[in-house]
Amino acid sequence: MKNWLLFLGTIVIVFLLAMLVYSIMDRRTEGRFAYKAQVAIEGIEPRDSLWGLNYPRQYQSYQKTQDTSFKSRYNTSGFRDALEEDPETIILWAGYSFSKGYNQPRGHNHAVRDVLASVRIGAPVDTANTAIPSTCWTCKSPDVPRLMSELGVKEFYSKKIPEFGSQVINPIGCADCHDPKTMNLTITRPALIEAFKANGRDINNASHQEMRSLVCAQCHVEYYFDKTSPDKKGSNYLTFPWKNGYGVESMIAYYDSIGFADWVHPLSKAPMLKAQHPDHEIYSFGVHAKRGVSCADCHMPYGTEGGQKFTDHHIGSPLANVENSCFVCHRERVEDLVSDVYERQGKVKGTSEVVQRNIAMAHLEAEQAWKLGATEAQMKNILKNIRHAQFRWDYIAASHGAGFHAPLEATRVLASASAIIQEARVELVRVLASLGQSQPVKMPDLSSKSALQAYIGVDLEKEKMQKAEFLEQVVPKWLAEGKAREARKKVTMLQ
Amino acid sequence: MSRLRKFERFLFKYSLIPPHKWRRAAIVAVAAFIGLGLYVLRVSNAASYLSDDPQACVNCHLMTPQYITWTHSSHREVAHCNDCHVPHNNVVNKYFFKAKDGLYHASIFTLRAEPQVIQAKSASVEVIHNNCIRCHEDQVTDTKTAALVENHHAKRTDRLCWDCHREVPHGRVKGLSSVGLQLEPIRLYDPDRKVVPAWLQKTMEEKNKKTQAK
Repeated sequence: MKNWLLFLGTIVIVFLLAMLVYSIMDRRTEGRFAYKAQVAIEGIEPRDSLWGLNYPRQYQSYQKTQDTSFKSRYNTSGFRDALEEDPETIILWAGYSFSKGYNQPRGHNHAVRDVLASVRIGAPVDTANTAIPSTCWTCKSPDVPRLMSELGVKEFYSKKIPEFGSQVINPIGCADCHDPKTMNLTITRPALIEAFKANGRDINNASHQEMRSLVCAQCHVEYYFDKTSPDKKGSNYLTFPWKNGYGVESMIAYYDSIGFADWVHPLSKAPMLKAQHPDHEIYSFGVHAKRGVSCADCHMPYGTEGGQKFTDHHIGSPLANVENSCFVCHRERVEDLVSDVYERQGKVKGTSEVVQRNIAMAHLEAEQAWKLGATEAQMKNILKNIRHAQFRWDYIAASHGAGFHAPLEATRVLASASAIIQEARVELVRVLASLGQSQPVKMPDLSSKSALQAYIGVDLEKEKMQKAEFLEQVVPKWLAEGKAREARKKVTMLQ
Repeated sequence: MSRLRKFERFLFKYSLIPPHKWRRAAIVAVAAFIGLGLYVLRVSNAASYLSDDPQACVNCHLMTPQYITWTHSSHREVAHCNDCHVPHNNVVNKYFFKAKDGLYHASIFTLRAEPQVIQAKSASVEVIHNNCIRCHEDQVTDTKTAALVENHHAKRTDRLCWDCHREVPHGRVKGLSSVGLQLEPIRLYDPDRKVVPAWLQKTMEEKNKKTQAK
């Protein structure tokens, strides 16, 4: 009898064990349905709307970068005319397309739209009528890493803008900064990786907090197009001048050592450098960087929605969202914090305006010296000083928010620019005197955009016609072609 | 050999051997017991519970809100589940507590008796509180704070840390409503983690090779 009981007992235990196994498998299956993605993100997916199905909060907040209604006092969004505000810069950029038109930027969502509408790229209908390289697309779209992976990096840099007209149609988006499998931050632009390497650093060692700035540093940096290095010939290879460091002196030393110039100034004949937007570099000199605060900490602060904590992807001025950004560390009144920012920006801006006026005058005085028959030997040092002073000024002026990111460094750099340009002007006075001119050089009205554009010979009327035609005829065709190409790509829905 | 005989005699003495004609079936039943037992270990991913990997805690989807809120917190970078939720005074106590808590969780989950909102029980509360102190002792006992904060000693001794620091680390809203989707497995301290994607690494290496070949 006992034997029977034992046998039956074993059977019951096995039965219960089987039920436990079933229960575990059952609950595991449940887990597979809970928190499930809507769509599979495969390869480099440039369409944000697909990512948005899986990450609705991040996507929807990112879409708000379309909104340009917030107005800050300086460098705000929404197409404020920078040339109208600082007309002297037209002289600074004479012979360079920035003298044609220069607007304050808009949000990330407008990247592709705005580069096509920019007066600076002209009307690149096809490769025959434009010199604008495909490299200008690099920071505009997650279609870029897709193209780079398909064609190769150098090949991507070797084309012209219209060749990718129907390829680059999505503005900056998810795939630019995120790994689709793990959603970890990732670097998709080779220039940053190469700049780290040139500096003797490995970007793979970056911490999570550093990555929260480095994904921005893929684009918000000073750069130039390398066309001459042996391995880069035949392309416009995007390169950061970081070999000697982030500082303005290091960059000037680098550019001088490779003999690089963006263009030769038609008035002063100086070989000029145009600073792009060295935001990351200048930021690194500021106190916030020193304390380990990342770009995302202020520009993408945490928010909550329905009790859920998430990173607000509405990238923009922290001044529009002081409570979530500054308040994390600074318990002050909103007005106090905002006025602290404006105070720093205002003082830097004021200094910058003085310097830019002096640089403009130096260009015009140099023009006069050439007219009176100055020799290259007389002008050599003057031109070098104009080149250096203008780059120092531009390093601050072109950087978004330098006045707040690193007010001390910004002031130091502007002070050095001021000293150098004064030196150039003193020398110019001497050269002019030796050529027989002791009176001040006659100058056009430095406070009128139209007078200055007329003075340097910018005529936008014809270009405007071509541009309108380009935007009405060519761009919609590119967009339609691109959309048709994307529609052929399979989308795997998971639910 | 003699030991085996002794064991056999022991089984016979207490009638633990089934009758002859059932013996074959009994062997099958015992084998099924062992086989299923091994399968339980495998299907429940039992070995993972010996590790400190937070992924082990989301073997059951029940813990997903806790896991997600933690991955969205600053503690993600410095403290894992076990750093706070099991004692660290000695290794025996650590595994004893872990086994006790784990088996309790597993039983409740299997019985489908889990509450809608999960809260720490008193034994857990003590462990967690001690672990806060374990890392933050220097901060909470900093003499400067004692001088600057009113009633500092009382404030740090007569209550739990999270009576005041209510957001740390799982957030103020606890439950399913506090999480969105967590699709991606977060692997911490992954030695192979690269911030440069594979395709870009490959293209850049090819380019280097080409340059060197030239």
